[in-house]
Amino acid sequence: MSRRKSYEFQDAPAQGKLKVWRSLEELDALTADPTAARAQMKRDAEAERPGGFLAVNGLLKKTGKALAAPVSRRSFMQYSTAAAAAVAIEGCARRPEANILPYAQSPESIVPGIPSHFATVTQRNGDALGIVVTSHEGRPTKVEGNRLHPSSNGASDVRAQVAVWDLYDPDRAHQPSLAGENGRDAKTYAEFDEALGAIIAGLGNGAGLRVLAQATNSPSMVRIQAALAARLPAAKLYTYDSVNDDNSREGARMVYGRPLHVSYELSRARTVVSLDCDFLGVETGSVRHGRSYGPLRAIAAPDSTMGRLYVVESTHSVTGGAADHRLAIPATRVDAYARALAAALGVPGVQAAPTDEVPSEWIRAVVADLRETGRGSAVVVGRNQPPHVHALGLAINAHMVAIGTTVLTTPVLDESQPRSLDSIRALVNEINGATTLLILGGNPVYDAPADVDIAALLGREGLTSIHLGHGVDETGSLCTWQIPLAHELETWGDQRAVDGTVAIQQPLIAPLWGARSALELLARVAGERNWRGHEVVRNTFRAATNPASFERDWRAALHTGVVRGTTRNHDVLTIDTAPLAAALANAPATLDGIEVQFVPDAALWDGRHANNVWAQELPDPMTKIVWDNVALVSREFANELNVRPQDLIRIRKGDLSIELPVWILPGHAAKSVTLTLGYGRTKAGRYAAVAEGRPGDKMGGGFRVEALRDSGSFYFGDGFTVEKASGHYNIVQTQTHDNMEGRAIAIDATLEEYKLKPEFASFDTVEFVSTDPLWRQVNYDDQRVQPADTSLPEVLHKWGMVIDLSSCTGCNACVVACQSENNIPAVGKYEVERGREMAWMRIDRYFVGEDSSNPQIALQPVACQHCEEAPCENVCPVNATAHSPEGLNDMAYNRCIGTRYCANNCPYKVRRFNYLDWHVRLDELVDEQTGETTIPGLGFRAGSDVANFPEERKMAFNPNVTVRMRGVMEKCTYCVQRIQSARIAARREQRVMRDGDVVTACQSACPTAAITFGDLNDPGSRVSQLAARDRRYKLLAELGTQPRTTFLGKIRNPNPAFPAPAGRDGDHAAGEGQEAHG
Amino acid sequence: MQIFPRHLNLLPLVIAGAATVGGGVLTGGVWYYAAPDNLQVGYAPEQPVPYSHRLHAGELEMDCRYCHANVERSHEAMVPPTQTCMGCHAQVHPDSERLAPVRESFETGEPVEWVRVHQVPDHVYFDHSVHLAAGVGCVSCHGRVDQMEVVQVDQPLSMGWCLDCHRDPGPNLRPRTEITNMDWVPDENWVAHVDEVNPPTHCSGCHR
Repeated sequence: MSRRKSYEFQDAPAQGKLKVWRSLEELDALTADPTAARAQMKRDAEAERPGGFLAVNGLLKKTGKALAAPVSRRSFMQYSTAAAAAVAIEGCARRPEANILPYAQSPESIVPGIPSHFATVTQRNGDALGIVVTSHEGRPTKVEGNRLHPSSNGASDVRAQVAVWDLYDPDRAHQPSLAGENGRDAKTYAEFDEALGAIIAGLGNGAGLRVLAQATNSPSMVRIQAALAARLPAAKLYTYDSVNDDNSREGARMVYGRPLHVSYELSRARTVVSLDCDFLGVETGSVRHGRSYGPLRAIAAPDSTMGRLYVVESTHSVTGGAADHRLAIPATRVDAYARALAAALGVPGVQAAPTDEVPSEWIRAVVADLRETGRGSAVVVGRNQPPHVHALGLAINAHMVAIGTTVLTTPVLDESQPRSLDSIRALVNEINGATTLLILGGNPVYDAPADVDIAALLGREGLTSIHLGHGVDETGSLCTWQIPLAHELETWGDQRAVDGTVAIQQPLIAPLWGARSALELLARVAGERNWRGHEVVRNTFRAATNPASFERDWRAALHTGVVRGTTRNHDVLTIDTAPLAAALANAPATLDGIEVQFVPDAALWDGRHANNVWAQELPDPMTKIVWDNVALVSREFANELNVRPQDLIRIRKGDLSIELPVWILPGHAAKSVTLTLGYGRTKAGRYAAVAEGRPGDKMGGGFRVEALRDSGSFYFGDGFTVEKASGHYNIVQTQTHDNMEGRAIAIDATLEEYKLKPEFASFDTVEFVSTDPLWRQVNYDDQRVQPADTSLPEVLHKWGMVIDLSSCTGCNACVVACQSENNIPAVGKYEVERGREMAWMRIDRYFVGEDSSNPQIALQPVACQHCEEAPCENVCPVNATAHSPEGLNDMAYNRCIGTRYCANNCPYKVRRFNYLDWHVRLDELVDEQTGETTIPGLGFRAGSDVANFPEERKMAFNPNVTVRMRGVMEKCTYCVQRIQSARIAARREQRVMRDGDVVTACQSACPTAAITFGDLNDPGSRVSQLAARDRRYKLLAELGTQPRTTFLGKIRNPNPAFPAPAGRDGDHAAGEGQEAHG
Repeated sequence: MQIFPRHLNLLPLVIAGAATVGGGVLTGGVWYYAAPDNLQVGYAPEQPVPYSHRLHAGELEMDCRYCHANVERSHEAMVPPTQTCMGCHAQVHPDSERLAPVRESFETGEPVEWVRVHQVPDHVYFDHSVHLAAGVGCVSCHGRVDQMEVVQVDQPLSMGWCLDCHRDPGPNLRPRTEITNMDWVPDENWVAHVDEVNPPTHCSGCHR
């Protein structure tokens, strides 16, 4: 029996071991003076929450100033005694009388207390994501993927998860409004309908009508657009999307003569080359790609084959993080690499351009790999790349005979749909003679190219503009009429996925504010007699189906969420590379000055989710920044500019200029700046609006980079100048929170290392704690199988989770799914800075390697590990956290008195404390009456909290999870409410629980199926099989906590023809921490 | 110097003694009496419609599940929709003055505002269906509802009371066919299979 050795920080890693770091400061400190760095780490470790947040003393000083009167010991005693007495008396009294309001007429199929689930669909540019929405007595509360829909396969993404919040956004437009002399006048729908009727009557042949819509994937919308063209032949229709897939369509048109959807079936791919394509992150179809990428990476045994992923990109994307080899070059130069690759492969008609920045193995070895895997190869091209690079990608794929295997081409819904960029410019050019402008969704004043002045257009004399929008936003506030736009969960529609699968979008709830959909408004203008969405969609459906079985098919489509028989086989067309060669000859291939590229935000997208606090507080997958956007640059470029992170820089091109804070992203391409769209909205709503007097430093909101984005550099462009501006902007990130103090946490190995030592990840040489615990031991084995000590409680299930780091991409879908399922509040930028973020699940992102210009990435989702020997439980003075016989680390909120001992004693730092009443707190940011802003956490106003909380936000809560209040500790529960409801359902049906009965929120959301949950006592369950894989390890196993969550170590599959990353020595597994335990 | 008369010298002691005893009695009194046993049991609020369980469930012998139809499916036993009342009362006493709120609700679609009688705290996730599936009868928690003119709370519904049964469910189990039978008494052939029930006694069994 030996006591556990106290943890020693290791000396500098021996030659050949990789450094693992979370920020550049950490890497620099490690490189410069390892001893001092480790001493600092140790000091940080001794503090409660190291890194990134104010010291406690400073905090006290600030809070003390904010309080009106200082609190003396005497008055503290008085208040607390009075409070205790009040609580005691209150606790004795009977609760106030409550009413039960049953239905007068009970709706069919609703059983009070049992949630219903409806299949519907949500738009992803030209694709559709099938979803299943949970509804509690008519309130949609949770979105999950639809197993039957080919785009989803049961998984979902960040945007699907945050959709519920948008529905209950308190800043949605609540009624139509008309521009008046003093601001906007609220109008009724009847008044609007009357005005619209008059407008329609005066349209004649439609010569005065301009319609600006968003690109659609809806067959009904296409039908109504055709009906509009037939009825009003002179009317003009334009489409615009700030984030679009036009380049991909045009690329296909170049070589196939017609626009096509290009999608990827990666489960058949052995070699994938991504050309600036974040196909696991923000590209269209990321969920579908995730599902096929998972099998590519989740290697079952050392002798299994494993795919290889090469990524060529400028910014460091989620896909780049998942890559085996990543080449950071400016987006402009991806063209040159694609040409070189095509030429080396022998694609006819392609000449290699000079590519001095590309190491030779990036051509030689990649070509060898592609040749070897042949039709099991896929070259994927990102939406920012110009059409000829897409055409080049298709030509390479056709050359490898991969089209039809890994690369699927399917016809687009509407071949006549113009390019967004052309269309919005045409709108401005053709505005003369227009009397009515109909804007069907979108926010062009905010997101149109900088050289297209929509605001001026809206101000034209004699133009009646009608804006259908989520809120009175930048566009709506300038339009004559602003009409509330119905949310996708509120309205009927139909949507087509890239493979042709049509799904009916059915509403879960009547429009909250009587909102209308774009389809309805256009149908009305097009003269449809039944313009209500339900009728329009049914009529479209009727035309496409056998009339005899119409009703049955309709119900089946609503039930499954997929219209049967619409999934198209992909077409293998004949490729014609002649136009490509011509386009290649014309396209410039050099980089002039500094390049800027624009990418959508993973959560805010093009800005449409800007007022969504779940989206705002979701850390960026790579930078872990919350509530703001930044200019991402490489370290070399930052040094060249002489700026440090958070310094303001000015980016200019011609007359356009913006200022925003700079941020160094290790692995970013040199001479390139990446800007994130979707931030800096001035009229987004109370949570995110960037406004005068609202300190962005404290409250976030970001910067509108759209002001720099003109038609010439809509996706990316060069010729920009970047200079240091004066000033500094406080950026908040979660990256350095929850630092794991230099231990081996996220463990990875190369395929070769894995083959040499399959158990590379487990700590087989670690000395576990061998002192006997002070409490009674529980045998968690199934007592039916192994009748053990009968004095112990009977245990049937042993819940556990397995997270496969090999397939995790860090996309964040699980994090926000957890937030939605478990009523987790957002806390605001200021509180995140103090380390008070509440997300039960976080994804730790580590940079691996010594080369800060192109490090590798290790990702690790961390939630409560549900330790069998949980350190948190032993220190709770009131037994508020205790173990269940099935091994769950339970949290009884009503017992918790908020000592926070448990959080201090948790080695994984997964416990979250409600320092304030967060749900309500966020709404204190802006006082609705006075309009004055208060900085959260400093200006406490007692008594007003609950009154300020918007009624509709209460509708988003999951009724099966307690909404925690101030002073209570919380953490991941393994979705205990789902376990209990599955158990109760099984009990009702008089059966035992089966594998798959319990699906946690994170597991359900994960596109790559990296998370598995189930019963470890059931040898046949998926989770026990995965937990037995040789890559398994437990987090910080040497502490003897015996976590229930098992991780599977990440496997990389580097090409031996590439030089090993600096410091990596080929014959040893894993990172520096391995040595610490070896 | 003597300010107060000598015979008051003992007064502080007396006061201190009285305060101690009085405080103790007060604390003990509150401790004992201000408990769910006294505060919850017997609560019988007035309802908008003087519905008699004694008449319906007792005299007319209607099964509990005729009205509380989802009790075996959902965590809520469900107070019936107005429709259920009107199913009979469209024919029976269609003009009764006392049924006016029911008819009004049926016509307007506005619910009847029943007053909640049995209430567990918000952080308790009680599920009717699983208790019925385990074989706990209605009478165990709700008492002889069939004899109540006005429904009142029969049991304390406190955590200690819940745990008493969860630790020893045997006495409250019965055949699943006899769940709603208020008169059922075990005969000598009845054996409660406690090992099949295995009720939770850990926190997350009821608190989530």
